[in-house]
Amino acid sequence: MGQPRLAKDPYNLIITGVGGQGNVMASRVLGNMLVRTGLSVTIGETFGSSQRGGSVMSHLRISEKGTWSPQIPKGQADLIMALEPSEAVRLLASYGNPKVKVLSNNRPIYPVDVIAGVATYPSLEEIIQPVKELTSAAWFIPATDEALKMGNPIYSNIIMLGALAATDALPMETEVFKQVISEFLSEDKLDLNLKAYELGGELLRQA
Amino acid sequence: MEYMAMGNEAFARGALEAGVKVAAGYPGTPSSEIIEQLSRAAKQAGIYVEWSVNEKLALEVAAAASFAELRSLAVMKQNGVNVASDFLLHLATSGTRGGMVLIACEDPGALSSVNEGDARTFAKLVEIPLLEPGDFQEAKDMTKWAFELSEKIRNLVMMRSVTRMSHASGNVRFGPLPSGEAKAEYKYSGGLLDPNTGPVTAGGYRHRFVLEKLKKAVALFEESPFNTYQGPEKPALLLITSSACYLYSREAARILDVEDKVGILKLGTTWPLPPNLLKKHLASTDNILIVEEVMPFMEENVKVLAAEMAAEIGIKNFYGKKSEHIPSVGELNPDVVLSALADILDVGYESVPAEYAKKTGALAYTKAPARALTFCPGCPHRASFWSIHNALELDARKGFVCGDIGCYTMAIGPTGFNTVKSVHSMGSGAGLASGFAKLRQFGMEQPVVAVCGDSTFFHSAIPALVNAVHHKADFTLIVLDNSGTAMTGFQPHPGLTVNAMNDEVPALDIAEICRAMGAKVEVRDPFNLEETQNALNQLLEYKEGAKVLILRQPCALSPQRKAGQKFKMQVDEALCLGETCGCGRLCTRIFRCPGLVWDQEKGISRIDEVICVGCGVCADICPQQAIKREVA
Amino acid sequence: MRIFGSNELKEDVLAKGLCIGCGACINLCPYFRSYKGKTASLFPCTVEKGRCFAYCPKVEVDLEALSEQTFGRPYDGNPLGTYRAIKTARAGKAVGAGQFQAGGTVSALMCFALSQGIVDAAVLTGREELLPVPRLARTAEEVLSCAASKYTAAPTLSALNEAIKAGGERLGVVATPCQTLAAALLRQNPMNEENFRDPISLLVGLFCTWSLDYRAFEAYVAGRVDIHKVRKVDIPPPPAEVLEIYTDNGRITVPLDEVRTLTNDTCGYCLDMTAEFSDLSVGVLEGRTDKNTLIIRSKRGEEVASAAEKAGYLVLEEMPTESLEHLRWAAGNKKKRALARIQEAGRLNTAEEAGRAMVRMNADAIAAILG
Repeated sequence: MGQPRLAKDPYNLIITGVGGQGNVMASRVLGNMLVRTGLSVTIGETFGSSQRGGSVMSHLRISEKGTWSPQIPKGQADLIMALEPSEAVRLLASYGNPKVKVLSNNRPIYPVDVIAGVATYPSLEEIIQPVKELTSAAWFIPATDEALKMGNPIYSNIIMLGALAATDALPMETEVFKQVISEFLSEDKLDLNLKAYELGGELLRQA
Repeated sequence: MEYMAMGNEAFARGALEAGVKVAAGYPGTPSSEIIEQLSRAAKQAGIYVEWSVNEKLALEVAAAASFAELRSLAVMKQNGVNVASDFLLHLATSGTRGGMVLIACEDPGALSSVNEGDARTFAKLVEIPLLEPGDFQEAKDMTKWAFELSEKIRNLVMMRSVTRMSHASGNVRFGPLPSGEAKAEYKYSGGLLDPNTGPVTAGGYRHRFVLEKLKKAVALFEESPFNTYQGPEKPALLLITSSACYLYSREAARILDVEDKVGILKLGTTWPLPPNLLKKHLASTDNILIVEEVMPFMEENVKVLAAEMAAEIGIKNFYGKKSEHIPSVGELNPDVVLSALADILDVGYESVPAEYAKKTGALAYTKAPARALTFCPGCPHRASFWSIHNALELDARKGFVCGDIGCYTMAIGPTGFNTVKSVHSMGSGAGLASGFAKLRQFGMEQPVVAVCGDSTFFHSAIPALVNAVHHKADFTLIVLDNSGTAMTGFQPHPGLTVNAMNDEVPALDIAEICRAMGAKVEVRDPFNLEETQNALNQLLEYKEGAKVLILRQPCALSPQRKAGQKFKMQVDEALCLGETCGCGRLCTRIFRCPGLVWDQEKGISRIDEVICVGCGVCADICPQQAIKREVA
Repeated sequence: MRIFGSNELKEDVLAKGLCIGCGACINLCPYFRSYKGKTASLFPCTVEKGRCFAYCPKVEVDLEALSEQTFGRPYDGNPLGTYRAIKTARAGKAVGAGQFQAGGTVSALMCFALSQGIVDAAVLTGREELLPVPRLARTAEEVLSCAASKYTAAPTLSALNEAIKAGGERLGVVATPCQTLAAALLRQNPMNEENFRDPISLLVGLFCTWSLDYRAFEAYVAGRVDIHKVRKVDIPPPPAEVLEIYTDNGRITVPLDEVRTLTNDTCGYCLDMTAEFSDLSVGVLEGRTDKNTLIIRSKRGEEVASAAEKAGYLVLEEMPTESLEHLRWAAGNKKKRALARIQEAGRLNTAEEAGRAMVRMNADAIAAILG
């Protein structure tokens, strides 16, 4: 077979964010891309009432060997892709380890208690600095800001996927992305999604 | 060709590959996607798929298809089995014809429920076979086999899933889909005891047939490929598991590097337990750990078998929920098994260095504020509960609200201003209210209110309202009509003109039904706060009998609302009083719509344009009229 | 003056059943609202010192300080409060015909003040069926539509607060003693707001011995007439001992001693029979159905009464000595009974560590009242 395609088997990726951000969509697209590449993917998701403003996570186990537990054991994440920055911090406590990598969006979504003035939300610096210290690599990119420029905040998760591809953590090919995305979404959105995907890669290289 | 399929998608695929013709269910997390998948495939596959009014109906609809020689599927969450249980027992007694499978999807840890129920006991209670798939391929393969098993024994088969099976995904190889038409015919003219052509009836005398059918299933279970073993012939510890716990157990043994000590017996056929298979494995060791979600169902059943076989296999040490190695409360995960194994085998295990865990723990505690569940921006329930809460405060007679199941259950908490004061099961809010309102003769003067959703109304609130009208119980039922079954993913219900398969169907009018019963009925738009509150204050004073207030406004996630933003909202900084006397941050501190943000620096509120959906309600609660509303 | 917030207001007043529903805390913010005579707090507020507490006449009222600020003299506990003169009064020819209560003095004063631009609008109490409701009147007609006594407490000051919020600067107010006290507190800018100007240019107080709990009264009346047809409620002067209810279909009378059982408990803690902190106070004149007692208190009150007389709106005459003595005696008794209750409840001059007082006054005043 030659070079193993995965840095680790299983490769444990967590996609996390806030209900409604498109977390589930991102994990489905990625999962499908990797299965098309001939890998086994196990995904465990929390949704349901989490739609209503709660934290959501998708645990992805990418492997050559078959199915794994849909919940990653504690401390075993290899990469955390966070659509919301404080969620990255939250997950480090349960699934992080000194070798973990973090790829995060930089735009906060304030929990209702923060909005209500009952809790405080940290500044971005208060998140970025310690995260960098507790991980082997950390990138924070303006995915939502760029998505807003493209006309819809929902592009942020495609941008994040593009950034993930650029980390080379997983075998993600643009051609496969195109295939999968055209099955998920309508024709007319294809170009914009491709643009978002490529933009993600650029943002990562700049970060 | 391998596809990435969610457990529920695999169940649906398995049913299609088995040639299912009729599928019925009621929305309930984590089961809903099974019916959704089948309804998407309905036209092409030529099958009938229904969102029934409730789970009892779903089981009855599926049973009818089975009696008429078709293969049928009933789908529900764990609580749905409770609702269907009376018919379930009688169905098991009468037996079935076309293969029939009941899939019960449970919610360990109650991530999306108000209880942690275990439906497996029903299989034992009504004496039908129970299957539990251990991964996504099995979810599909086992479903197909379940139909065959059902036809072999002429009784329905129950399959149990959990969140981490239903809502998790993995690689699944699909099989071919069958072709061919099916003819439905109900044969009933044969003799009473003829299973193929006699009438399909329950009856006490049939109990012995039920037990015979179960025996037949057990014989097949002894040889089933769905019961697997991996590990040494004589393991130091035998781990018996089922469902998603199999995946946790396998991985835990690998991480701890004890695969040479631990033998994993994964059972796919969990009721009745195949005694010969169990005997073989129980005899191979003295130590047995049982890992399963929710109740110690398998644990107790294994212990019974072990007691019966004691003379042959010896006395065993059991570990599981009873020994507290496996928690009895909450959802399981690989770390639970890791910790149990580490303890039993006396192996050290640390998931991450303690120093690291301390640092990341402290960071999360201070820098990752918790996310409480909240109504979506633009949710009509927020507006409804604003008015209900305020009407009850102004009424000032200690009135209270009995809650029910749906998104509006969250009104127990601050997102609904802590208005709801009791929650149980579907339709029980109205039921309890009907009871509370008859306590007037014992000095209870408190006004009684119940809330239910439009879907819940049809599911089980109607009989409660009939009860109240007939017994002259003066309670106010508030139907929160948001045009769909929202909490579970916005499925249709009998109040809408469209069904599971997107056909046009007649809608039932809730207001007309309530009027026909004889209740006093008012209908309002909850976004009109003043009118809603006035209507409720008036209804609260009406003492002659049951009253209904229908608050009608589509869900913020409904297609019509998502289609476009009605208003563009903005806060006028000059008018906003913020924290000072006269406001005290009403909109962000109390109303708490996620679309409103408190700007600590400027000391004012502002709109988050990414989150705000433009419903316009906040403009009406601002005491300074500082929130401006412009038609978008 | 000790000022706290809405949580203390709820604890000290609402939770203790001491709220009279005067409306002083309503329409300042979204938290306090009134419905059918009862004041409710909708949500907790976190503001530590609020106007609601500062204006409330049932908690931490420093009568000493208020008297100094309002009249420039100490609170001495005298039964009728501070005054310059006491006369009898009735509406003069310049006031149009109308359904007045007794002498029509209050209506006359407000019509006069409106006509002269002394006030731009008057905060009054009207009626919707049986329920008294706050009204803001801008014309003589509107004033006259609010004439006639109401015997249940109304949140009249909520209309004052609303008018102030809308920018009102010359407002007339007709208020019961508890409402008058709240309005007087408001006029002294207890929160030390910058650029504060007294928005009330004429505060007319009404005599009052007790008021009825609206909801209890409604339940009582509803058992006897169709409350949707109620036009007027009246208590004719002694020795009648009845309460009359006028509806579209006629009139019924009920025994006054039955009605008295529906009195607000909090009225038993009220020291003030003649609205001592007004510019002018108006009440019955014993034995007469066509005249009022008029107490002239402040310089503003004196000016307005005098001008109204000159303009033919008021007819003023000497107050008969005997009537004055009876009034003084009745007012003194109410003060004494109430102060004894307040003292017994530990709410007179309460020490800081012990909680919050209802009223504060100096030792001389206490001695004068308790005799």
